[in-house]
Amino acid sequence: MAPERSLLERRLVIVTGKGGTGKTSVVAALALAAAQSGKRVCVIEMGLDEQVPALFDASGPPAGYAGREIHPGVTALRIEPYAALGEYLGLQLGGRRVVDMALRNKAFRQLMDAAPGWRELITLGKVWHLEQMRDDAGEPRWDLLLVDAPATGHGLTFLDVPRVAVAAVRVGPLRRHSGWVEEMIQDTRGTLLLPVALAEELPARETAELVERVRNEVGVAVDRVVVNAVAPEPFPADLPDLDARLGRLAPEALGPALPSPEVMAACAGHLRQRRALNLKHLEAIATETGLPTIALPLVPDGVRDLAGLERLAAALVDDEP
Amino acid sequence: MRATLAELARTRRVVACVGAGGVGKTTVAAAVALEAARRGRRAVVITIDPARRLADALGVGELDNEPRALPADRLAALGVDGEGSLSAMMLDMKRTFDGLVHRFAPDAESRERILENPIYQHVSDALAGSAEYSAMEKVYDLAERDDFDLIVVDTPPSQHAIDFLDAPQRLMEFLDSRIVQLLVHPAFAAGRFGFRVFQRGAQRVLQIIERVSGVGFLEDLSDFLLAFEGMSEGFRDRARRVRALLLGPDSAFLLVSGPGHRSVDDAVRFLERLQDGGVPVAGVVMNRMRAWPGGGEPPERIPADGDREGALRILADALAAADGEGFPAERAARAALDAVDRYASSVRRDLEVTKRLVKQALAADFIAQRVPELPGDVHDLEGLSLVAAALFPEDDLG
Repeated sequence: MAPERSLLERRLVIVTGKGGTGKTSVVAALALAAAQSGKRVCVIEMGLDEQVPALFDASGPPAGYAGREIHPGVTALRIEPYAALGEYLGLQLGGRRVVDMALRNKAFRQLMDAAPGWRELITLGKVWHLEQMRDDAGEPRWDLLLVDAPATGHGLTFLDVPRVAVAAVRVGPLRRHSGWVEEMIQDTRGTLLLPVALAEELPARETAELVERVRNEVGVAVDRVVVNAVAPEPFPADLPDLDARLGRLAPEALGPALPSPEVMAACAGHLRQRRALNLKHLEAIATETGLPTIALPLVPDGVRDLAGLERLAAALVDDEP
Repeated sequence: MRATLAELARTRRVVACVGAGGVGKTTVAAAVALEAARRGRRAVVITIDPARRLADALGVGELDNEPRALPADRLAALGVDGEGSLSAMMLDMKRTFDGLVHRFAPDAESRERILENPIYQHVSDALAGSAEYSAMEKVYDLAERDDFDLIVVDTPPSQHAIDFLDAPQRLMEFLDSRIVQLLVHPAFAAGRFGFRVFQRGAQRVLQIIERVSGVGFLEDLSDFLLAFEGMSEGFRDRARRVRALLLGPDSAFLLVSGPGHRSVDDAVRFLERLQDGGVPVAGVVMNRMRAWPGGGEPPERIPADGDREGALRILADALAAADGEGFPAERAARAALDAVDRYASSVRRDLEVTKRLVKQALAADFIAQRVPELPGDVHDLEGLSLVAAALFPEDDLG
């Protein structure tokens, strides 16, 4: 079933996936595609290390918590929980002085270092805040917010924290604000969870489990799966058994300049089997999730710069289900 | 002299596999446990990941919080005979935490108070670092029980490589902190020498938390802490012993990496953090390397003499002779040469990209071991045996 709305029509796209799936590249490519279609995009990272700005320009400075326009139409920022906490408490208490005192207080830091869940909650709260921002004309400051969320298992826990907070905190502003964040996540028109998978056994299965848990537990919309790094067809369509043909040649048939037929057959066979593996799991992902897939091509040297992002961005938009 | 991976599997009590997500830590962990079992040891492998990776790798279906022994026919198929055994389990965080509460709560009443406290109930769901901590707690639990000679643990993917070592310490520091003491025993804390200066600041902080979070939260928190206090001595002592086991001479850490630029960047950073943290790293495993058939490095260029047209002619002639009239030998030759060339560049690239990780490992006198990418799935016993064969090349067990 084709999704009702295009990816770029959403307000908030939360990208998740098992480690190593190229989630961050997909986030950056999606940002590029959206900016190219005239949207104002905000890319949000939350890891220890900023990665998105370097994909656009390896020599640029980090974006930090304040954010920086890293490409025309694309602003990146990294949410650091303590920075977000300071901003939040400042807004709540109407001043930074007492907040800065608290944040410098050793006991407070100890309490917060050990306390559960608040990092996730404050991070999502900051996303909510960015989503609420308006420009001078009263229009949303950002047409599209893209979140590079934690890896699969942790990603769902992360999205579930506002619900947990609403259940655990009985009264007060924290409960109210958690409710707002929960509403944002469950807004099935504006918000989308976008899983990124690889067409291999374990990532494919994990993606199917993720989609099932999303449907049963978290209540965030998910309407397609991006399958990254799909190997190309190694041989022309009418020569599917080329590796076997190479393997049948006599050992000396190819002379000294070429590898032996056996080695050539093994190389070609590896590519054929990897392609077959990818196709099998691409299909399994579609069947098990019941969702359309967007297959992105394998970029041999990895996506490391704007040229690589352009390739992925084109595939993301062209392959829109 | 540098140890080998096989020696680690034969001699250590704990082997922890660390590294970013998606690099195949679980497979490496299972292969290390398998090697130990083949050498007659009783091995268990613990996985933490929410997904059922290890069950997949071992083909044993569902795993839960207690070790499950692989059936005899599985073991035989894996080349385990005699004394050796192989078990697997998947960590259930909540149950592990509940187990700690049962063990250390001073009486039934405080046990129930903790287990029913809303904060506790959500702690085990959402507490950052709790997956890491409960993993280490489980390792210690198994080490203490003495049912196994080797415990291999597949740690959760973590950006902070040593979260799992720090988690208990952070929790203890938290419980010790004066702000917690103030929550638990406001009157007692106020009377302590030197506390008054601190107290004004701390009370302001509590007021802030109170204003933002609402009253119920602090009450629940204080109640949770009070109940927890009764068990904190046992807990603290245990946390110390867990740490001593993991950092001691009976434990070894293996860092697992993939072959890509991003993965190697991550691994290099990981390794630095582990070394800085005083973690006993023993080796680096570079998993899923594209390998040249028959071993060694691919030729610098294909064809070796640079005469592409000549090579295409030879290849086309050979294919035409073998496949007869009507076979598009020239097109086939071009496709074959391109495919081999493409594969050779990917082999060279993986070798090149992982070079600095190998260098860093060898400089510190760690093992550096490459494991080839398998063309098919790794999830079955055959795949696991192939990975084990690559990890333990000196093995003559097939």
